[in-house]
Amino acid sequence: MAGGTTTTMDVRRVSEGPSVIDIGGDVTAASEDVLMDAYAQVGEGARAVILNFSGLEYMNSGGIGLLVTLLVRTNRQRQRLLAFGLTDHYREIFELTRLDEAVEIHANESDALAAAGVPIGGRA
Amino acid sequence: MSARLRSLAGRLRRPERAEATASEPELAATAPEAESPPLDIAPNDPIIGLFESAEGPVDLDGLELDSPALEQLRAAGIKLAVPLVSQGELIGVLNLGPRLSEQDYSSDDRKLLANLAAQAAPAVRVGQLVREQEAEARSRERIEQELAVAQLIQQNFLPKQLPDLPGWQVAAFYRPAREVGGDFYDFIELGEGRLGIVIGDVTDKGVPAAMVMAATRSVLRASAQRLEAPGEVLARVNDQLCPDMPDKMFVTCFYAVLERESGRLRFANAGHDVPYLGTPAGEVEELRARGMPLGLMPGMIYEEKEATLGPGDTALLYSDGLAEAHDPEREMFGFPRVKGLTGSRQTGHDLIDSLLTELDRFTGPGWEQEDDITLVTLSRSGGAAMAASTHATELASAVSSNGADRTLTEFEVASAEGNERGAMERVAAAVAELGLPASRLERLKTAVAEATMNAMEHGNGYRPELAVTVRVLASEEALRVRITDHGGDQPIPAAGTPDLEAKLAGEQKPRGWGLFLIEQMVDEMRVSSDESHHTVELGLNLRGDEDGDWRD
Repeated sequence: MAGGTTTTMDVRRVSEGPSVIDIGGDVTAASEDVLMDAYAQVGEGARAVILNFSGLEYMNSGGIGLLVTLLVRTNRQRQRLLAFGLTDHYREIFELTRLDEAVEIHANESDALAAAGVPIGGRA
Repeated sequence: MSARLRSLAGRLRRPERAEATASEPELAATAPEAESPPLDIAPNDPIIGLFESAEGPVDLDGLELDSPALEQLRAAGIKLAVPLVSQGELIGVLNLGPRLSEQDYSSDDRKLLANLAAQAAPAVRVGQLVREQEAEARSRERIEQELAVAQLIQQNFLPKQLPDLPGWQVAAFYRPAREVGGDFYDFIELGEGRLGIVIGDVTDKGVPAAMVMAATRSVLRASAQRLEAPGEVLARVNDQLCPDMPDKMFVTCFYAVLERESGRLRFANAGHDVPYLGTPAGEVEELRARGMPLGLMPGMIYEEKEATLGPGDTALLYSDGLAEAHDPEREMFGFPRVKGLTGSRQTGHDLIDSLLTELDRFTGPGWEQEDDITLVTLSRSGGAAMAASTHATELASAVSSNGADRTLTEFEVASAEGNERGAMERVAAAVAELGLPASRLERLKTAVAEATMNAMEHGNGYRPELAVTVRVLASEEALRVRITDHGGDQPIPAAGTPDLEAKLAGEQKPRGWGLFLIEQMVDEMRVSSDESHHTVELGLNLRGDEDGDWRD
């Protein structure tokens, strides 16, 4: 019971486009190193970072705090942060915490990629 | 009433000088630094009634009353007494000698004094109450501190984890009474597929019991490694404990050695409650062996017996806190109930849950646990495991028919990072029978995880020896999850709405979403604290609107 599931974050570059971080397992305060390593792999030059939550099993308030930390960094680098693959439950949590206003949420990967192709100036 | 008057007697003091002026009334009656001995007014002295009904100052000259206090006051030269009455009760008296001018007190003097008394009385009363409360708080704090020490010792010496025994399921439950008793249990790895199992109870409570428990545990661990036969182990422990055992204290203890492969259980008993062995057929055997409690006298011999646990068999070891719990009519929960449930074909946590549910139902709401409750089960896998789990469900639903709260599960989680996830899954499993809509279950799980994290982090400071207790109760109307930690003295943080912009701007910490989320996830959140515990109760309505619009 103790320890729970582990976290994986694999970084994928989609055909010269933005990078997708495939999240698997748990996103908690303990995932900080894994997430920040993944973010480092994406590189500062990227204009958009896409989080794939399809493999997410559990996220707690510590994990939300971690996403806020990531947002602070992406904002600083003038990068857009996008997400897809959230279940209804975690989508609700994004709405409650108003993370959905800072992270662009999409239904699936192709929608997210299409949106990431739009220049920053095109954002609402 | 009598207590109030006793404290009153201590506060009435004789004036130092038998004279005072009206403009400078002798306030020795309430001045704590007055050196003269206090004036005793006996509770039955008629002067109390007179003072209480007096309107303003009372002339002592010419007063005809059979009152010892009056005589004392006169002997001290007091002329005028100004009663201090608060809410109809005499709480003090201003005693004045003759005026320095040797004139009588004028009506203006008396008015002034009456006004002064009317204003002073409530203030003095408040002062008295504050002092009483401070004294009470100090003594309560002392008691709480001792309780905390006892708890700490106790929890430090209980196993941090259950033994991993392939082919077996071992479960344990320990819940201390407010005033910690001396219950303990232990598992000792003996090698060659053997496991030592201990359950015991030290007479007495608090720190002394916890110390004896700690000593017994160490001696037993050492002896168990050196000697093989359980009877010899207990005899050795007894001989070692005897010389140092405090008067009127002793230890009851059941010790068994299990051979994993064969299921053979050799055991000896030093006067502890007789464990039961339940079979898949519903039969129950008592694991009896004769022997005196430990620490009474040296040289005792302990009978040794053995039993064999077949597939599906479960042994239940328990402490008297269970069997000897009383309901409001002072009826005892009793051994037959414990024995009966051991024969209910349940194993491990299911059996423990049923025992606690049954106990809960028996004692009724608001019961203060009288003694520690310790339960250890040892179940061999296989056999009628399927039948067992079905039966557990039946039993649980039977309990619900009275409409009152029933406990779906109760368990403890050690305070370590990540443990909230297990708590969340256990609660989810326990409420499965309620058939909550998936989205509602998800919200409950998040709330339970967040509340458990808060409890482990803020309440228990992630100290692994401090457990978080999770209790799931259901009635026809509502589901309630109570999450209790040991942080009663911690202030409860307010559940404000976190400000994402401020967090993004670095003005707020990125964290701090927990309490906010909990409030959003459930229909009701209640927080309560006592001196040493802090409980968050999460509530979901089970009746009324269908899922979907519950939040708006």
